[in-house]
Formats: sequence, C-alpha cells, structure tokens
Amino acid sequence: MNSAQSWIVVADDTAASGLVDLARSVGDEVVAVVAGRREVASSLASAVDRVLWLGEPDQAPVEAYGPAVAAVVAQATPRTVIGATSPGGRALLGAVAAALRVPVLAGVSALEADGDQVVVTRSVLGGIAEHRTAVQGGTTVVAVDPGGAVAGDGDLAPLEELAVTPLAATVTEVRPAAVAGADLGGARTVVGVGRGLKAREDVALVSDLAAALGGELACSRPLAEGVDWLPKERYIGISGQHIAPDLYLALGISGQLQHMVGVRGAKVIVAVNSDKNAPVFSQCDFGVVGDMYEVVPALTAALGTGS
Amino acid sequence: MKIVVAYKWAPNPQDAVVATTGEVDLSRAKPAVSEYDPVAFELARRLADATGGEVVGLTVGGPSIDTPLSRKAALSRGLDRLVVVADAELEDADGTRIATVLAAAVRAIGDVDLVLAGDSSIDVAQGQVPLTLAGVLGWLGLAAVSAVTAADGGLVVERSLPGGTTVVAVPTPAVLAATADAVVPRVAGMKDILGAAKKPVEVLDLAALDVPAPGATLATLATAKPAGGERTATIFDGSSPAGAAAQLVGALRQAGAL
Ligand SMILES: Cc1cc2nc3c(=O)[nH]c(=O)nc-3n(C[C@H](O)[C@H](O)[C@H](O)COP(=O)(O)OP(=O)(O)OC[C@H]3O[C@@H](n4cnc5c(N)ncnc54)[C@H](O)[C@@H]3O)c2cc1C
Ligand SMILES: Nc1ncnc2c1ncn2[C@@H]1O[C@H](COP(=O)(O)O)[C@@H](O)[C@H]1O
Repeated sequence: MNSAQSWIVVADDTAASGLVDLARSVGDEVVAVVAGRREVASSLASAVDRVLWLGEPDQAPVEAYGPAVAAVVAQATPRTVIGATSPGGRALLGAVAAALRVPVLAGVSALEADGDQVVVTRSVLGGIAEHRTAVQGGTTVVAVDPGGAVAGDGDLAPLEELAVTPLAATVTEVRPAAVAGADLGGARTVVGVGRGLKAREDVALVSDLAAALGGELACSRPLAEGVDWLPKERYIGISGQHIAPDLYLALGISGQLQHMVGVRGAKVIVAVNSDKNAPVFSQCDFGVVGDMYEVVPALTAALGTGS
Repeated sequence: MKIVVAYKWAPNPQDAVVATTGEVDLSRAKPAVSEYDPVAFELARRLADATGGEVVGLTVGGPSIDTPLSRKAALSRGLDRLVVVADAELEDADGTRIATVLAAAVRAIGDVDLVLAGDSSIDVAQGQVPLTLAGVLGWLGLAAVSAVTAADGGLVVERSLPGGTTVVAVPTPAVLAATADAVVPRVAGMKDILGAAKKPVEVLDLAALDVPAPGATLATLATAKPAGGERTATIFDGSSPAGAAAQLVGALRQAGAL
C-alpha cells in the first residue's frame, strides 16, 4: 500500500474542495483521477499534485467510467481514496471498493493517518451514534460532501490523459432543472415545514412567516418528494441538506431522526406540533403544542407588530 | 426480462436506544422491508409485466432476516420468487461485503438482465450497496433512477439529478437504484398476502457461493453519542395561539435567536 498518497476520484464536478481538503489532511501527495470534462480536470490542476484525466466523456454518463477508475486506483493501491456522496461519486467509489474489496465509509468528519492504517471519525445509523473506526489491512475509502469549488495554489499540475473505454451507455437528453438551488446553508434563520401542512396552497402560510423572520423556507422530505410542494433542494435531513442556522423552526414535522440529523448544528430549534408526544419535542429548545394553522399566523403577526 | 430486486430487511434506528457512551441497542427496533425498497419492487413488477419476465427478490444478511414474517412481507409485494442468503457471518457485515455476496447470488441466479434496488436503506442510509454491487459485477450502476422502460436491446432510464432530469440509453445487464418517489408502491391486499405463502423461496448457502475474502477489516476504536441530538424544550400551550406566539417571540429574543 502506498502510504504517502491520497487519491480523490472526481465525478465530473468542479465542486470538489471537500475531497481535496480531506485528502490533504492524510496524504503528502494528492492524486486526482477525473471522470468528466476537461474543465473539471483543469480546475483541479492547481490544487493537487497529479491529475489523471480519463478523456472527454461525450455522451457517456460518469458512472460508465467506474471500471476504468477502479483499475487505475487499484494499480496504485493508495492508503486513502476519497470521493463524493453524489450519485456519480458513489458509483465511482463503488467500483473502487469492489476492486479493492474494502468498505466505503460515509458520514465522515475526520481522518487520521497512522502508518498504513487510517482512523475514521464518522456518524453511523442515520447519525444516532459516532464511531472512531480503524480500517485495517487495506485502503480506506470514504464518501464525503463534495464541498465548493476548488481553490488552488497557482502551481499547475499537468493533465495526464489516460486512454480508457467507458462502459456502453448514452445520455440522450438532459432537461435542466427549472428552479435554481436555494442557499439554505448560508441562512441565519430557516423555517421548515412537514406533513402537518394539508395542501399546497397553504405553503403561503409558512412562507409568510419565513418572510417575517427574514429566513429561508425548507421542508421535510415527503413535501419535496412524493408531493412536490417544495423543490428538492429545500428538504433537510440525512439525504437532503445539512444546515446549522442560528434558528430553525420545525412546523408540522414529527422529528424523525432522518430529518433532525440535518439540523443538529442549529443553535436554537423551535417546534410547532399538534401532537404533544411528537418526538420533535425532545429535540428542540422551544416548543408550541398546537395547530400550526393557528400558531403560525399568530407568530407572523407577533413578529410583525414587534411585540 | 429477468429482474432481481435487492432489498433489505432492516430495523429503523429511530427506535434504537443510544446510551450516553454511544452504544446502540437495536433490540427494540422491529425490522421490516426497508422503507424505500417497495419502490424497487413496484418498478420491477411493472417492467416485468410490460416485457414478459420474472421478478426475483434477493436479500442477504444475518440469520434474523429469514423468518416466515420477513418472507411474507417481501413476497406479498409483487415478487415471483425469493432468494435469501442468511448467515451469522453476515451479521453487521459492511456494505462491500454485502455487495460481494449479492453479486455472487446474482451470478448463482443466472441470466439476470437487471438488478433494481432502493435509494438508501433505513439503517445504513448510504445509498452505496447497489453501486458497489455494480462494481463487483462489472456492470453499469446508476442511482437516482426515477423511471425505467424497456427498449430494443436495453433500457431507457430517467434520472433525477441536481442538474435536471437526464435520460440514458442503457444496455443490459445493469444495476439501477430508484429514487424514493419514482413510483407509488402498491399496498399488499389480502390476496397478495395469502398468495405469498405459495411462492417459492430458495435459500443459498453462503459457504457454497463464490465470495472472495474482504481486503480490509473495520475495528471500532470508540463510540460516542453526538451532541445536539437531545435538547430540553420549554413548551408553550398553543391552545391560545396569540399568547403562545407572544411568549415564544419573547423567549427567542431573550435567547438572542431573533
Ligand atoms: C433512508 C431514509 C432517508 C430519509 N431521509 C430523509 C431526509 O433527508 N429528510 C427528511 O425530512 N426525511 C427523510 N426521511 C423520511 C423520514 O423518515 C420521515 O418519514 C419524514 O421526515 C417525516 O416527515 P414529516 O415529519 O413531515 O411527516 P410526519 O412524520 O407524517 O409528521 C407530520 C407531523 O405533523 C403533525 N401535524 C399534523 N397536523 C398538524 C397541525 N395542524 N399542526 C401542527 N402539527 C401537525 C403531526 O402530529 C406529525 O407529528 C428518510 C427516510 C429514510 C428511510
Ligand atoms: N443486505 C442487503 N440485502 C439486499 N439488498 C440490500 C442490502 N443492503 C442494501 N441493499 C439494497 O441497497 C439499497 C441501498 O442501501 P444502502 O447502501 O445501505 O443505503 C437498499 O435500498 C437495498 O435495495
């Protein structure tokens, strides 16, 4: 195993700073293997020591490069391999993990290198516990949030282009998403709404409160998937956004752990729920037991009058 | 088309008891078919009905995944038959080990055109197993699949990705993981539940499968309970909405949250 090296596998996404930072924390030399467009590979050239580029994908989905990425990584057998939690990132990591027959760890907050072994701090089981886990006898493969765009040091690593053949598959159509992504991460106040809401029209009730608070609107997963009353970019939780605002309001949200793990970092959490036994009440700082259809307008009014 | 649906029989960690040391006790959490896996059952059934084919359920894990209840729960959801690998050695196995065993079982089933899976499991929730399975098989693996139809010699797959909806022409064999809302799964009726008892179940012996040894092992050095999960709430009575609102706004101002 090559202890000095950390590899990152990049799935056609210039937002890879999370991968680079984590790789730097455990490797003297960071090598990127990029399945994606040339501009993605170039964007990494000043941030890492080597960039291996698998060529222009044309109509191939990034997942078609799984076996090629795995072959390149397996040949080097670095101590650490880091990829993104995005669908494409997980596919590349899956191919690498299969080739090396090692687990993929997610929910990772820190890596520490100790000789050939890497110690991973990660949350498990939807975030109910945290483990320090040593990966022994093989490469440590982790999936992390890709983070933002990469900032380099100006020193350009040359692109090393490898000739590979992707699996057969063709992207025939891309219909761009209509809504722009919301900046929930940067918001000081976030108002989240759940299935306590009875109809799409009633979203206005909650957006009025969000406006009164100068905050962003968010939701639980069922409101964004299943019924699409709010865009998918706005749902919070283990498979959605993780946020740490000063204030989070959970309105008509029961408080299932898959949702609450996404707001654990919030300074103050408020819950409004008609069921006094809802699990959300043991995970908030202030709670109102009541009908959100009455409490929410009252709250909007109370803020408006500055009382 | 011969379709395998990989599904998990798993406990909901919501019902776990977590000690202050971070030790997790799942004994009170009742296992069930993992929340989003019925979406994969439904996609598989519709595709098999449209193409004239067979849907085989496949699950692997510790001995507790194979009970009369777990068999019925899966078989009443539109499967034709079930294949199970249950072995004490797979209790708490990591995702790559699970994927390696799934791959061996897929090969043992033979002539499989498509493996369908759920978005992410209710306990591990990484959305990783299907993609690692694709890696082991050397097949194309795509997650975030919102629709799938058969076309000449392959599949037309729709994906719901951050950049928008993407359509991909995919030759078989392939592994596809569905989004949580790709289709609304049917609710098992009395007839489905009674019919489930008559459907064939094949138990594969782990030792007889061709499963390579793991390339690394995991050792848990320490556990902890994460901060911020439990908070002590000040509760206001919302039966007087205006009163509760005024109290809450006051309390938030005092806490510096407004
Ligand atoms: C693998 C996996 C991943 C998941 N990922 C996520 C995720 O990332 N994010 C997420 O949010 N969920 C996620 N979920 C789903 C999660 O488990 C819950 O199902 C979901 O969070 C519940 O949403 P909810 O609280 O809005 O709805 P419910 O649980 O149905 O709760 C609705 C609440 O509204 C209350 N209510 C009803 N009427 C009123 C009223 N008039 N006034 C006030 N209160 C009212 C009810 O008392 C109830 O508590 C995931 C699940 C799985 C299995
Ligand atoms: N032990 C298992 N047996 C069969 N399928 C599984 C198993 N674990 C995970 N899967 C499948 O992989 C999907 C994603 O699981 P995970 O990677 O654990 O989030 C699940 O929804 C199942 O379809």
